[in-house]
Amino acid sequence: MIGALVRSEWTKLLTTRVWIGLLLGACAFGGGFAALFTGLAGGEGVPALGTPDYEQTVLAVAANGTVFALILGIIGVTQEYRHRTATPTFLSSPHRWRVVVAKLLAYVAAAVPFALVACAVTAVVALVYSSARGTALTFDQDNLVVLARAGLAIVIYVVIGIGLGALLRNQVGAIVGALVFLYVVEPLLGSIPATQGLYKWLPGGALSAMTSDFQAPDVLGPWQGAAILVAYGLVAAALATLLTVRRDVV
Amino acid sequence: MRTTVDPVRVDVQGLSKSFGSVRAVHDLSFTVEPGQVTGFLGPNGAGKTTTLRMALGLITPDAGSTTFDGVPYADLPSPLRRVGAVLETAFHPARTGRNHLRVYCRAAGLPIERADQVLDQVGLTAAAGRKAGNYSLGMRQRLGLATALLGDPDVLVLDEPANGLDPEGIQWLRGFLRHLAHDQGRTVLVSSHLLTEVEQTADRVVIVGAGRLVRQGSMAELRAGAGAGTVLVRSPEAPRLAEVLRGAGATVLSAEGQELTVGGSTTDDVGRHAFAAGVELHELRSNTSGLEEIYFRLTAGQEQYAAGSPAGGPGPDPAVAGAHAAQGGQS
Repeated sequence: MIGALVRSEWTKLLTTRVWIGLLLGACAFGGGFAALFTGLAGGEGVPALGTPDYEQTVLAVAANGTVFALILGIIGVTQEYRHRTATPTFLSSPHRWRVVVAKLLAYVAAAVPFALVACAVTAVVALVYSSARGTALTFDQDNLVVLARAGLAIVIYVVIGIGLGALLRNQVGAIVGALVFLYVVEPLLGSIPATQGLYKWLPGGALSAMTSDFQAPDVLGPWQGAAILVAYGLVAAALATLLTVRRDVV
Repeated sequence: MRTTVDPVRVDVQGLSKSFGSVRAVHDLSFTVEPGQVTGFLGPNGAGKTTTLRMALGLITPDAGSTTFDGVPYADLPSPLRRVGAVLETAFHPARTGRNHLRVYCRAAGLPIERADQVLDQVGLTAAAGRKAGNYSLGMRQRLGLATALLGDPDVLVLDEPANGLDPEGIQWLRGFLRHLAHDQGRTVLVSSHLLTEVEQTADRVVIVGAGRLVRQGSMAELRAGAGAGTVLVRSPEAPRLAEVLRGAGATVLSAEGQELTVGGSTTDDVGRHAFAAGVELHELRSNTSGLEEIYFRLTAGQEQYAAGSPAGGPGPDPAVAGAHAAQGGQS
């Protein structure tokens, strides 16, 4: 039952081109920031090529793909309302929680190759550019763990996207709201002394915990960060199933 | 496609639904029988779409239930194989018609080839690989019908399927629905705000107005009650003809100028009596507009955008207009 719905979600995903644009975006952000960071390496305030600081930070920028995974998840749910396909979807599965579960499973599975490609592009750009500058990036175990965490963060953010999309149902509202929160509200909360302690519990803070050991000192451990992000996604999906997904489709 | 199906009776029991303070559907009960085309009629905003969506579990009713052979939609083990519905043209505009259908093949666990089979059935094969967003209105309706047919269902529910179809398409749809019901024994429920649209197709009608049941019965019963079967006759000697016909036991229902409306008689009888009495006739025909008239009478004052009535008659029902708005313009 759920298996059929998961396959249905994959067919939906692969028969429009949204995923291509978002994957390109994730690769461009990961590769672009890797190139920028490699180009500036050794400059003022930027770690030099060959240092662990440089190598781990340049691989952690693959986590910039999380925002595209977030949007992928949001669109995966909200397009059902935007194009009114919620009607045939809920006709084929009148128990709507199954649709939410199927979307979570289908998009997590789809996010794995998505994350692999984004991470690979980031790593290749960093490797090629650092080699060209004379000190090739190395892939020791610590570095690979950083890259894997960035990939895992991408997969987890798709869960948050599904949960948020199901909760808000409005595509533009959910995407704009998520971007404003991540890039405006959260940095503000992190910079105001009174709310600084809160930052590590927020999605951005939890993402920092997963991917960068150096930039933000006051964050949780990587696995705590991952657990918090998963919790955000699943709690949103559960709330949505109880509150918004069951609403009348008129 | 199967040539025989399970006969499934649809039972709508006491459905009620309010949107905010607006009553869209009020204590509505009716049945839909297999092997027949049932027309679900009412003016725009009468609650037809809300009723169909409640029957299919998309809208939660405040009260009442709908069952398919005793089973609510949500409890059907494989809903798309039991009930096919055309509610609106809902598809992702960037997805091709074929891929749109494949999505629901997957969801219902149907073989993927069903997509091409139903496209062929509705005559969309040539457009299968085109994006549905570029389809004409008529093609969208056909794609909606194809979606409903995917599971080869015993019951078909269609909400205003003729909207956007050209005359040829409407003709085709009528024949197709009759074939599904009469030849294959499926249960077909088709809504419309126009009686003329289902008049030639439907065996039974369920008429609603302002969310309530106004009338349900066979077309024959409706025709009998409609005063269809009256005779229109025009003569320069109308008063004398009226007397002749009364003398022969017929009822003259109205006399306007040269024109008489005669009940309890046939064109044959009226002609014979006139000939015997030597009354000159200029026109003699059976009245076919009676059905339309009773439909207007039954649903009078329940039009969403009814013109204001200067004589103080029933104007537009604000509750109904509000219900329509609350449904996001879908009726």
